[in-house]
Amino acid sequence: MNKLFLGLLGILCYCCTAEPALFEIIPSSQSGVDFSNTLKEESDLSILDYLYYYNGGGVAVGDINNDGYPDVFLTSNQGENKLYLNGGNFRFRDISHQAGITGKSSWNTGATMADVNGDGLLDIYVCAVVGINGFSGHNELYINNGDNTFTEQSKLYGLDTQSYSSSAAFFDYDLDGDLDLYVLNHAVHTQNSYGHSDLRYQRNPNTGDQLFKNNNGVFVDVSESAGIHGGVNSYGLGLATADFNLDGYPDIFVGNDFHEDDYLYINNQDGTFRESLKDWTGHTSRFSMGSDVADINGDGYPDLISLDMLPRDEKVLKASEGDDNVQTQKMRIDRYGYHYQFTRNMLFVNRPDQGFMETALMSGVAATDWSWSALFADFDNDSQQDLFISNGIPKRPNDLDFIKFVSNEQIQNKITKTRLVDRKALEMMPTGECQNFIFQGKSGLKFVDKTRNWLPQVSDVSGATAYADFDRDGDLDLITNNLNEPTKMYRNRSDGKQNYVQLKLQYKEQNSIGIGTKVYSYHNGGELQSQSLYTSKGFQGSSEPLIHFGYENFQKVDSLIVVWPDQRFQVLKNLPVNQRIEVSYDKTKPWTSKRLRKSRAKVFTEVSDQLGLDYTHEEDNYLDFNREKLIPYKGSDRGPAVALGDLNGDGKTDVFLGSSKFKKSKLFLQQAGKFISTDSIFPDKTDVKEFTTAVIADFNADQKNDLFVGAAGADFSGKSSALKDHFWISKKTTLSEKELPEYFGNSATICVFDYDQDQDLDVFVGSHMITGNFGKFPSNVVLNNDGNGNFTVLQPKALQEIGMITDAAWVDLDNNGDFELWVVGEWMSPRSFSFKDGEFRPQSFKNKSLKGLWQSLSFFDIDQDGDQDIFLGNWGLNSKFTASPKKPLKMYFDDFDNNGQTETIVAIAKGSNYYPIHSIDELTGQMIQLRKGFQSYTDYAGLTIEDILGEEVLEQAQLLEVNELRSGYLRNDKGSFEFIPFDFLLQQSPITAFQKDDFLGTGNPQMLAGGNYFGVKPYHGRFDSFPGALIISENQTELTSALGLNFTNKSVRSLDTFDMEGQKYLLVVYNDDKAEVFQF
Amino acid sequence: MNKLTTFLLAIVLLTTACQKDNRYQTVLEDPTTFHKAVDRLTSVIVHDIFSPPVASRIYAYPMIAAYEAMHLKQPEKFQSLAGQLNGLSQIEAPENPNLVHYDLAALHAFLTLGKQFIFSENTLVVFQDSLYTELKAKGMPRRLFKNSIAYGEKLASHIKDWADGDLYKQTRTYPKYTIREQDKYWKPTPPAYMDGIEPHWNKIRTFVLDSANQFVPIPPIPFSLEEGSPFREQLDEVYQVKINLTQEQTEIASFWDCNPYVTHQNGHAMFATKKITPGGHWIGITKIAAQKAQQDLPTTINTYTRVSIALFDAFISCWDTKWNTLVVRPETLINNHFDQEWTPLLQTPPFPEYTSGHSVISRASAVVLTDLLGDNFAFDDTTEMDYGLPMRSYTSFLEASEEAAISRLYGGIHYMMAIEEGVNQGQKVGDFIVQKLITNKNN
Repeated sequence: MNKLFLGLLGILCYCCTAEPALFEIIPSSQSGVDFSNTLKEESDLSILDYLYYYNGGGVAVGDINNDGYPDVFLTSNQGENKLYLNGGNFRFRDISHQAGITGKSSWNTGATMADVNGDGLLDIYVCAVVGINGFSGHNELYINNGDNTFTEQSKLYGLDTQSYSSSAAFFDYDLDGDLDLYVLNHAVHTQNSYGHSDLRYQRNPNTGDQLFKNNNGVFVDVSESAGIHGGVNSYGLGLATADFNLDGYPDIFVGNDFHEDDYLYINNQDGTFRESLKDWTGHTSRFSMGSDVADINGDGYPDLISLDMLPRDEKVLKASEGDDNVQTQKMRIDRYGYHYQFTRNMLFVNRPDQGFMETALMSGVAATDWSWSALFADFDNDSQQDLFISNGIPKRPNDLDFIKFVSNEQIQNKITKTRLVDRKALEMMPTGECQNFIFQGKSGLKFVDKTRNWLPQVSDVSGATAYADFDRDGDLDLITNNLNEPTKMYRNRSDGKQNYVQLKLQYKEQNSIGIGTKVYSYHNGGELQSQSLYTSKGFQGSSEPLIHFGYENFQKVDSLIVVWPDQRFQVLKNLPVNQRIEVSYDKTKPWTSKRLRKSRAKVFTEVSDQLGLDYTHEEDNYLDFNREKLIPYKGSDRGPAVALGDLNGDGKTDVFLGSSKFKKSKLFLQQAGKFISTDSIFPDKTDVKEFTTAVIADFNADQKNDLFVGAAGADFSGKSSALKDHFWISKKTTLSEKELPEYFGNSATICVFDYDQDQDLDVFVGSHMITGNFGKFPSNVVLNNDGNGNFTVLQPKALQEIGMITDAAWVDLDNNGDFELWVVGEWMSPRSFSFKDGEFRPQSFKNKSLKGLWQSLSFFDIDQDGDQDIFLGNWGLNSKFTASPKKPLKMYFDDFDNNGQTETIVAIAKGSNYYPIHSIDELTGQMIQLRKGFQSYTDYAGLTIEDILGEEVLEQAQLLEVNELRSGYLRNDKGSFEFIPFDFLLQQSPITAFQKDDFLGTGNPQMLAGGNYFGVKPYHGRFDSFPGALIISENQTELTSALGLNFTNKSVRSLDTFDMEGQKYLLVVYNDDKAEVFQF
Repeated sequence: MNKLTTFLLAIVLLTTACQKDNRYQTVLEDPTTFHKAVDRLTSVIVHDIFSPPVASRIYAYPMIAAYEAMHLKQPEKFQSLAGQLNGLSQIEAPENPNLVHYDLAALHAFLTLGKQFIFSENTLVVFQDSLYTELKAKGMPRRLFKNSIAYGEKLASHIKDWADGDLYKQTRTYPKYTIREQDKYWKPTPPAYMDGIEPHWNKIRTFVLDSANQFVPIPPIPFSLEEGSPFREQLDEVYQVKINLTQEQTEIASFWDCNPYVTHQNGHAMFATKKITPGGHWIGITKIAAQKAQQDLPTTINTYTRVSIALFDAFISCWDTKWNTLVVRPETLINNHFDQEWTPLLQTPPFPEYTSGHSVISRASAVVLTDLLGDNFAFDDTTEMDYGLPMRSYTSFLEASEEAAISRLYGGIHYMMAIEEGVNQGQKVGDFIVQKLITNKNN
C-alpha cells in the first residue's frame, strides 16, 4: 500500500465520523521530529527502585531564532535532548548537535523556555534528577547565542542546582523587572509512615523546592527567607504560576503527589510568600500531578486544574488501588495535620476574594486516568477555554492483583535474597497505556468530553505536553513527549473555521517576552476573556509564549486591555479578527484590577461574638460506615436541633440548640440585647440523646410557648430510650419536662399543624432512617393534641414508609384556606397530603416523578403570581452520583447474605450499564460469601451489578431510585407544578437549608440557600465549597460570598432570622462547628 | 445385615483387593499424603491472605473432621470429640463400616471443608483430583472409593453445620473498630494503615475453653509517657532493642515474623510479601515433629488436631484481650512522640498490642506438643524455608515457643509485658486443653 492510498484512506475515515477530528497526528516521517524518550532496557532501574521512573521527559516550545515559527525542545530521561527548528508547514529540522543542547545529566526531566538574560532570545532551562540511583549532572541553562547555538551557563547564573528536579518556571515574583525562577523538586521519602505534616518546615536540599531571585543576572536561592516549604515530603509534580488574587504579584501553586498537601503560595508583595492552601481550598487532589491555570468562566480571575489518576474505565478502576479508607484519612487529617485530599482531578474556580470552589465532578473533568499534563486553551476558537489532558503509564504499579497476588510468587524470593526485583515480575503489571482526553469548554463551568470526536483514537503514554501555533494558521496545535515511542505532534485542523486573534508581547529589557502580562479581551458587547502569559504549564513543559483568543464568528474585538507586569496597561480597540498582533510596551497608564470587579455592598455583617449566642456544635465519634459499611452517606450527622421562639414569655426571641450525644444542649434567653445561656434543664453530657430537630410553640394553650425536641443519631435502635423525643412545657419561670407517648425513631423534622382544625397544635414527626437498617423507609407519626398538650400517637397509613424523611411543612399554597402537609426526603419524590374526611390523603401530581435526595423544603412566591412556589434542596451535581429519568441512581436494599443484617448497594449508570460504587473489598467486607466468586480483582473489575449479584437476587431486592439530583423549585402555576432547577452555581453542594427574608431591604423577600455536606466517604470527597446563595428572582441569583456571608467549608444545618431591638439578624447553625450570627 | 455376612463380605473384599492391587492402601496410610494435603491448605491460606485468627479456624474444622474419621477407624484408641468440643454432636457412623475406608473419608472431609473455608479452591481441587486418580489407578475398588467419599462428604457436612453456629458468619458484618483519640489507644499503623483485624473474634465460639475470657491476663501496665514510668520503660526498651539489635536477634525476629501480608510501598509501586501465619508455622512444626516421631496416620491426625484446637482457642483468648485492652503499638507512640522516622524491624501487624498473639499461640501449641511428644524433643524447624528464611534448630517445643515470644520484642512490634503475659496466657490455655481434651485414650 502506498502512502497516497493510506492518505486517502485516512481522509475517508475522517469523513465517516459525524464530526471530523479536530486534531490529526503528523507522523514523524513527515514532521522530522523523530525524537523518542526511550527508557533503556538494560538499566537495572525500575519503577520499584525509582518511584518516578515513568514520569517521562519534558517539552519546551518557543521561537528560538525569531523567525515567527515556534521551535521544539524535547528532553529524554536517559538519552540526548533534542532541538528541532520549525521550517513552517509542520516541517522541522534537528539541530541538536549543532545547537549544543543534548545535555550531560543522567536523568533529564522538565524543560522550559524564557529569555533569561533579556537579550530578546529565548533560552532553555533543563531540569535533572541528581543524587539518587547514581544519577549525576545538574540542572542546565542553555543561553541562546542568536545563531542557533547555545552555551550552557547554569553555573555562571547560579542555576546549576543539583537536586531531584521535575519542573521549573520563570516569573518575576518581586516585580523588579527581571525573571526569577521556581524549581520544583520531588521527594523520594522512603519511610513508610506519613510523618507529621510539619516535616515540610525542615528543609532538605535534594527534595525541597527552590525559589531563586535574579540579582542582576545571578540567581540566589531565597527559598528559606521567602517562606517556601522545603521538606522531605514534598513530592512536587505540578507547578503553576499566576496572580490568583489579582493583586499584581504572581502567586505559585505546587501540586504534590501522595499525602503531602499541595502548596498555594500567595505573594506578600515584599519578596515573601504565605502558604495559603487551606484558606483557598476545602480539599485537593490526592496524588497531584500536572496542573494548569486559565480563566475558564470569563470573570477575569485565573482558575486552576490539578490532575490526579482516577480511572474512568470500570475495568481499570476496580482493579486499581482506590480511595482512602475513611478512618485512615481522618487520622491523616486530625492527627498528622494534612488537608482533605481525594483521588481525582480537581477544578478550582476562583471566586474573587473567597478562594476556590471545586467543581471537577460537576464540570465533567474529574476522571482522566493516570494523568500528567493539563493544558487549557481555546482549541476550537469558540471563545471558551478547552482542556487537553495527557495520560498513561507503561505499567500500572497500583494494580491490586499485582500487589496482592502476582507480585508475591514472582518477587518474594528475589526481594528477600537480593533486594532486587525480577524484570519478569514487573512485566506482570498490566499496561497503563491510555487515550488522551480533550474537553470542549462550555458556559456554566461545563466541559464536554470530545475525546472521541476531536482526537485520533490511540492509546499511549503521553507526558509533558505543550501547545503552539506551529503552522501559523490561527489555531493551537499540540505536542506530547511520549514514553518509549516517538513524540506526537497534533495538528489542529480547525483551519480558520472560527476566528481568532493572537498577541506576541514585547515587554521591557530583562523580561522581553512579557511573562506575567495579563490580557483582557472584550467582544460581543462586553463578553470577557482573559489570559496571562506564563510559559511553564501542564507538566514538565512550557508552551509557546503566545496570547491566543478565539472569537467564534465574531468579526471584531471590541477591545484588548494589556496589563503589563509593572501594573501599567494599554488598550487596543476595534480590532479585526484573524490576525497576529505584536504589542510593545507603549503609552501605558496605571492599572488597578478593581476595574474588573463589580463592586457589591456587603449585606451581611458578622456579629457572632457580640450577642452572647456562643454555641459550638460538636459531633460525637460515631462512624456510621463502621457499622453499615456500604451505606452511601451518614445518618448520624443531621443535628444540631435549632428552634427560635419566646420561651419565657417576655416577647423576645430565645434560641434552643440541641446537641449531639454526650454533649449538653443549650437554651439562650434574650435579655436586653444579649443572650444568656442556660443548660440546667437538659440531660447532662453523659446522656446518649442526640437532638436533631426542635420547635417552639404553645402546645397547651396557656399563652406560653413550649419546646418540642426530636431525637435521632442513627446509633441506637429499636425501642431505645435514646430514640424518644422530648417535650418541655413552660411553667412560670422554668421548663418542665412532660413525658411523650411511646414512639421511637430517628426524628428528622417536626411539623406543627392543626390538621384536624380543632384549634390546637398537633405534630407531625418525620423520621429519617431506621438504625442498622439503612434503606428501609421508616414509619412516621402524627401526635394528636387534646388541647392541653397531651398527645396521642397516630400512624396515618398514607404517611408510612414514604421515604427517608428530611423535612416537612404544613402550608396553604394559594391562600385559599386549604392546607397541605408537604414532605420531602431521600429516595423519594416530594409528596403532599391533605386531611379530608378524617384521613390523610396523598395529593396526586401531574408532573413526572421527581425522586431526589431531598434535604430541605421551603416556600417562596418567586414568580410573584400570588401563590407559593416550592423550594427544594437536593444533593446537587458536583458528585459521583448521576441521575436522570432514563438513567436513575439505583440503590438495592435487601439482606443479600441472609444473615439478618440488611445491606444497601448503590449502583450508578456508566453508558448503558450499572456498576456498584464499591470495590470488591468493600462489598466482601460486608458480604463475605461474594468473595468466592471473585478470586482476583480482574475477575470483578468491569462487571455490572447484575453480573456481580445475579439478576434474580436483584429482582428480589427492593430497588430505590433517584432521577433528579439538582436543587430547584416547583413553580406553582395554579396548582400545576413544573420543576425548575437552580442555576449551576447552586448545584455544587447539597442544599440543606433555606430562609426567606428581605435581606436586601428591597421590600420584597428573597430566599437564602445554604448547604455543604461532609457525611460521605472519601469516594465522594467533600461537598464543601458552596458559599450560600441569595435567590432574588427567577433570573437573579447571587452567591452570598460577595455579600459578606460565606458558608464555604462549613456544613449548614439551619438558617433562621430574628429581630432584636429593632435590628434583624441571621443565625447560621452548622454541624460540628461554631454557630454564626450576622446582622443585615 | 448380620455379623456373619459382614464378615464374609469383608473377606471377599479383602481377597479381591489382595488379588488385584492394593497399592492404594499404602498411599492412604502413608501420613505423607495427609501432610501434603495440609501443606496445600497452608499455601492457599497464604495466597488468599487470611488473617492469623481466621487462618486458625481454617485449620481447625477440617482437622477435626479428619480426626472424627480416625475415631471411627480406631474407636478403641481415639475418643470422639463430640461432647468435648462446645456444641459438637456425634456423627452418625456409616451403615456399613466395612465399605468405608476411613483414611480416605478423613482426607476427603479435610479437603472438602478446606475448600469451603478458603476462597481459591483450585490448588486443593488439583491436589484432590490427582490423588483420587492415583488411588483408582492403584487398585482402589470403585465401591469402596465411592462409599468412602460419600461418608467423607457426610462428615464434612456434619462439621460444617456445627461450624456454621460459631458466629463466624455473623461477625463478618459486625462494626469495624472506630479509632479512639487518646494516645493510649490502638491506632492503625504504617504503611498501609489497615483497619484493625477481627475486633469481634472473642465472640467466636471456643472449642474447649468455656469462654473467650476464661484466662484473662493481668491488665497492661497503665499508660504513661512520663520518663521513668513503668509504661515508658516498656516503650524505651523497644526503642533501645532496635538500636542494639544483634545479627542473631534479627534472624530470630525475621524467622518468627509470620505476617501473612506485609506491604511494601515505593511511591505508587506497591507489592506484598506473604508468609504463613503464626498458626501456620506451628502447623508446620507439628508436621516436622510427627514425621520425626514416625507417627502413623491416625496419630498424626491426632497431633494436628490437638494443636489446631489449641491454636483456635488461644487466638480467641488472645483477641479477647487485645480488643478489650486496646493497647497502642510502640511504632505509633515512637513516631508521634519521639522519632518520626522510626520503623520497627518487622511490619507492625494491624491489631492492638496486648497480649502478643505469637506468644500466646506458640506457648499453647508448645504445651500441647510437649504433652504428646515429650519435653526435650529436638527438631530442625524448616517451616520458613519456602519463604526464603533458613532453618533453625530447637531442643524442645517450649524453647521454640520462648524464642517466638521474645522475637516480637526484637521485631519492634511488642512491649515486654505483652510477651511475658502472652506466654502466661498461652500456658494456661495449653494446660487447660491438655487436661480437658481427651483424644488418644492410651495417653
